[in-house]
Amino acid sequence: MFGYLIGRLAQAVVVVFVMSIIVFVGVYAIGNPIDVMIDPGATAEIRENLIRQYGLDQPLWQQYFTFIANVAQGDLGRSMVYNTSVTGLVFSRFPATVELVLVSVFIATIIGIPAGLWAGYRPNSIGAKLIMALSVLGFSVPTFWIGMLLIMAFAVELGWLPSGGRGEVAQFLWFKTSLATSDGWAHVIMPALNLSLFKMGLLIRLTRAGMVEAMGAEYVRFARAQGLPDRQIVFSHVLRNISIPVVTVFGLELGSTLAFAVVTETVFNWPGVGKLIIDSIMQLDRPVMVAYLVLVVMLFVIINLVVDLIYARLDPRVRLKGGS
Amino acid sequence: MFRNTLKSGIAALALMAVAPGAMAQELTIGLRAGPDSIDPHWSTLGSQAEALRHVFDTLVDVDEKLQLKPGLAVSWEPIDDTTWEFKMREGVKFHDGSDFTAEDVKFSIERIPEVTGPMPMTLYTKYVDSVEVVDDYTLRVKTKGMAPSLPNDFTRLFVVPSETGMEARNEEFNSGEKAIGTGPFKFVSWEPKGDMVVERFDGYWGEKPVWEKVIRREIPDDAARVAALKSGQVDLINYVPATDYLSMQNDSSLETFVSDSVYILNIAPSVKDEEPQPIKVNGQEVDGNPLQDLRVRKALDLAINRDVLVNIVLEGLGTPANQLMPEGFFGYSDNIPAPEYDIEQAKALLAEAGYPDGFEIDFTCTNNRVPGDAVVCEALAQMWSRAGLKVNAQALNGTVYFPAAAREEYTMTMSAWGTLTGEAAYTYGALVHTKDPEKGFGNFNRSGYSNPEFDKVFGEGAQTLEPEARKKLYEQASEIAMEDRALIPTVILQTVWAADADTLDFVPRIDQETRAYAITPQE
Repeated sequence: MFGYLIGRLAQAVVVVFVMSIIVFVGVYAIGNPIDVMIDPGATAEIRENLIRQYGLDQPLWQQYFTFIANVAQGDLGRSMVYNTSVTGLVFSRFPATVELVLVSVFIATIIGIPAGLWAGYRPNSIGAKLIMALSVLGFSVPTFWIGMLLIMAFAVELGWLPSGGRGEVAQFLWFKTSLATSDGWAHVIMPALNLSLFKMGLLIRLTRAGMVEAMGAEYVRFARAQGLPDRQIVFSHVLRNISIPVVTVFGLELGSTLAFAVVTETVFNWPGVGKLIIDSIMQLDRPVMVAYLVLVVMLFVIINLVVDLIYARLDPRVRLKGGS
Repeated sequence: MFRNTLKSGIAALALMAVAPGAMAQELTIGLRAGPDSIDPHWSTLGSQAEALRHVFDTLVDVDEKLQLKPGLAVSWEPIDDTTWEFKMREGVKFHDGSDFTAEDVKFSIERIPEVTGPMPMTLYTKYVDSVEVVDDYTLRVKTKGMAPSLPNDFTRLFVVPSETGMEARNEEFNSGEKAIGTGPFKFVSWEPKGDMVVERFDGYWGEKPVWEKVIRREIPDDAARVAALKSGQVDLINYVPATDYLSMQNDSSLETFVSDSVYILNIAPSVKDEEPQPIKVNGQEVDGNPLQDLRVRKALDLAINRDVLVNIVLEGLGTPANQLMPEGFFGYSDNIPAPEYDIEQAKALLAEAGYPDGFEIDFTCTNNRVPGDAVVCEALAQMWSRAGLKVNAQALNGTVYFPAAAREEYTMTMSAWGTLTGEAAYTYGALVHTKDPEKGFGNFNRSGYSNPEFDKVFGEGAQTLEPEARKKLYEQASEIAMEDRALIPTVILQTVWAADADTLDFVPRIDQETRAYAITPQE
């Protein structure tokens, strides 16, 4: 178990390393960030000074090693645009994204899994067909478009919910969250629903597929022959057996939603990290890009780790070994 | 119909929910962009200056047309060729109660090079050699050589108290600790890309704003900003996109405010001996650079139908441009003829220049810097194809475009330029003057254009302190550059603001700034 964790950690370090090289080379290939940012009235002298001040006149490998040396001392750098530490900047906005994603994943799960189970249990009923049709809409209609529709309906026409932004934040245990206030919930519900639609569609289809397959399996027939009620068969045997693919996809989706909720964040003006990273890319603010991507890599590693641990719980045949 | 009924119902509910009086006191504005820091010396970004103006005052102020007017300085005059004297306003208080004096201005000027970031404010102090405090209300600035535009540069010189100390950086300003100015509002809070909240400063020296509290909310997405206005979350928004502007015309519940901006879309044809991307006839690279021929540049100009650009391509949100600055700016010439559209003459000129069947040329533009840049780019390519050219138009993201343009990799480009200082030296000095790093001219002259006659007249202007004489010289310089088609201006872009109908009075500004203290509730 311990060896397994060490192996995973080593993998993460390698991925972070490779990714930082890609970002450095990528930004270098596009050009000089100073040319994107500088005011048109600046003289050549001012420009040269700046390029030197930010070390952009040095060869790429030297810039990279300066960066690595700083990271080794725990310093990811300062944003060129905001002149504040990038870790502080990213973490000041991360809670908003986490909040949004957790609510959306929660919505996706409590609706998606029961709907999928039902659709798989009675695959030929009208209800099941309706659920399946809606699930197709869920992941084929573009998020921003549904987002705009929701805003038009609930914010502009009906005026029930605010059109965007994050609500009032309040202290909850040891951190501040908008989920502790009713105003916060009014703000989060629409973007979270919007963000959950894709995942919901996916969960419905996965659960249904697993369900249909399992219902024809031998162990279900035996259970039925034993005279167990369907409720018990579905919830204590089938659900556990179809959980592995669901958990895998769920984990991956959780990671990618945390990292790339940017469309929903933009449409609903949610102050999360997604908007920050897009702006940073536009301005070639390299320190922010690197810090953010490091965070994303870490996130994926952690989520994958948790998913693996859950596997082992769900399926006793799975054994965790070092380096695998 | 259904919608409007519902809307008025909601409006009525909203009115009942909010206590009367509270509404008139608070203003929430939805803005496309906000500041990057609360340190007023950090960056030259337009949205930064716009936001910080609420908290800090500048030495010299500008009116809606960007012409100078007194700010913290009540008057200024040159006392010899290299010295400007500024007289300070008396009785001005900082938000912490301390008095404003010339010492604070000196400190602010000297602080800039210490703290400014990658969009450096040293731009505005580049002519300053030394600063001398004569008495509490008199300041003398020695300049490096003659600097007639120093008062224009000081329109972005925000003044902080000398007690701020040289060590204070962005963190101290962002937290509010050092965010102390003389402006109409006191700083309350700000978060990057989020809300900036300010409160009325009752000790303000000028006309006090009507709003007790102003929330400047950043909503970068166009559709989200419009939705926020329609749902009543904000009272006013800036940068309404053209498509929404059209639908708002038919919506009696909303009111729009339109103004010309300082931004003009200019075409820059490279006139270097060898063009960066080859110009071809029948697939063969031509000898020399056809764009060096004035007849070819004139033909490009004549083939542009600016009325179509304005009315159809930009949905009416533009004005045809015949020079690099809008009317009324210092150095705008009345003698430059209105732009003409004559496709036959364009073809004739091309034939005369030796290209009866046109040529094939690459044309590169930005696609996200200003509204309409990409569509104008496409439209221009089509207009030129009518004159017989084959134009490969390419609209690129600014992140890719600007570094490549700085490396001078494009044969013909189009991008927006804004005369943010309201006078010709800024624009013509950077875009048209021969590249001369020594004198600081031609920094953005990427076309290789160089005309000794222009340089002479413009240079003379830059060395003339007397405003009337300088203005004449700049006008003359504009005429030379435009006759020569050093750059080809196409359209002046317009900006749109929107608010709920009959709620606010607001005079739009040419620099696109949304100043809360200039907004009043409608009676």
